[in-house]
Amino acid sequence: MSFATTKRMDVQAAAQDMRRRTLAQIKRPLDRLIYLASLRDYNTGVYYHDGLASRFSEDAVCEALSDCHREVFRQLFFCSLEDLVAQLEAYADSTNAAPSDFIAAWQGLEPYRVSVPAETDSVSANFFFSNLRIALAILQNRLHARRLPRPDAWRQLSLGQ
Amino acid sequence: MITLVFFLLIGAALLFSLFLLARRAARAEGSAQALVEAKQALQMLQGELLPPGLVERIFARQDFEFVASSTPRQVQELFLQERKRVAVSWAQQVRAGVLRLMNFHLGQARFYAQLSLATEMKLAVNFAVLLVACRAMQFALYLGGPFAVPGMVGRTVGKAAQLCETSEKSLAFLGAPALGGLSKDTARRPAAS
Repeated sequence: MSFATTKRMDVQAAAQDMRRRTLAQIKRPLDRLIYLASLRDYNTGVYYHDGLASRFSEDAVCEALSDCHREVFRQLFFCSLEDLVAQLEAYADSTNAAPSDFIAAWQGLEPYRVSVPAETDSVSANFFFSNLRIALAILQNRLHARRLPRPDAWRQLSLGQ
Repeated sequence: MITLVFFLLIGAALLFSLFLLARRAARAEGSAQALVEAKQALQMLQGELLPPGLVERIFARQDFEFVASSTPRQVQELFLQERKRVAVSWAQQVRAGVLRLMNFHLGQARFYAQLSLATEMKLAVNFAVLLVACRAMQFALYLGGPFAVPGMVGRTVGKAAQLCETSEKSLAFLGAPALGGLSKDTARRPAAS
């Protein structure tokens, strides 16, 4: 068996392990994307995972995680905007940050820009960023609407008095 | 005197041959570069810009309906503005890819592919028509927005995909799998090294 074939098999086994043990526990694709991006060193672009590194070579782990990252990005790319908004809202809730702070930070810092796989083409990346900007605007609008008193609230209040 | 002229002529002939050889070598190198660029343009068009799934996603009416039914005017405007930007940029890149392919076919393909004059003429006309269609689509998207001309987008994408297929056949001698593998490997390099 050639070295390349052995490495490819290792990559596939590591990717399968990642999907089964870790990614399967993370419900939403957006959370999976953020998790996978967090395994990548910002300075070198290399992915690290201690659990996988104990059983596979560093190269195989890196390639396997890169494959998983691309797969999850593809999944998110094909999500409808409505689905993406729901995922973003659930993700915001899971961070325990105040929704307004979360939205302000994501709009200002655009942390999602580092969440895409390295070799993503510019059209796909820009489309994804654009969808997230729209999703954030929708969430902001929902939050604003929730804060505003309903038009009939005053009437109910005065009737009660 | 006659001997001097004779040797001068021989010298000039040798210099001229050297000049021709140098020019030929330079062109061969340039052609290889052009071939690689053409192959990259083809891969970009077929793999990144023209896949039906990607085009459907950019121009998804479903998203527009969701935004139109559940958000206020300012969010709808933002949505249209964002989608328009993506759509126009996509159309620009499609046109740029087609232009690169056309330049290759105009300038270099005859040195490699065994194309008949009729096929070359047909390709040239198809390229010209497609470039005009891409420009028209770009303007239509810019002026009318991303959902104004779905038919035009579909037709242009279809035509571009057809032309890519023809172009791919004429470039088949390049050994697509080898080059494809190389470019994929190069693209992965930053993440893997």
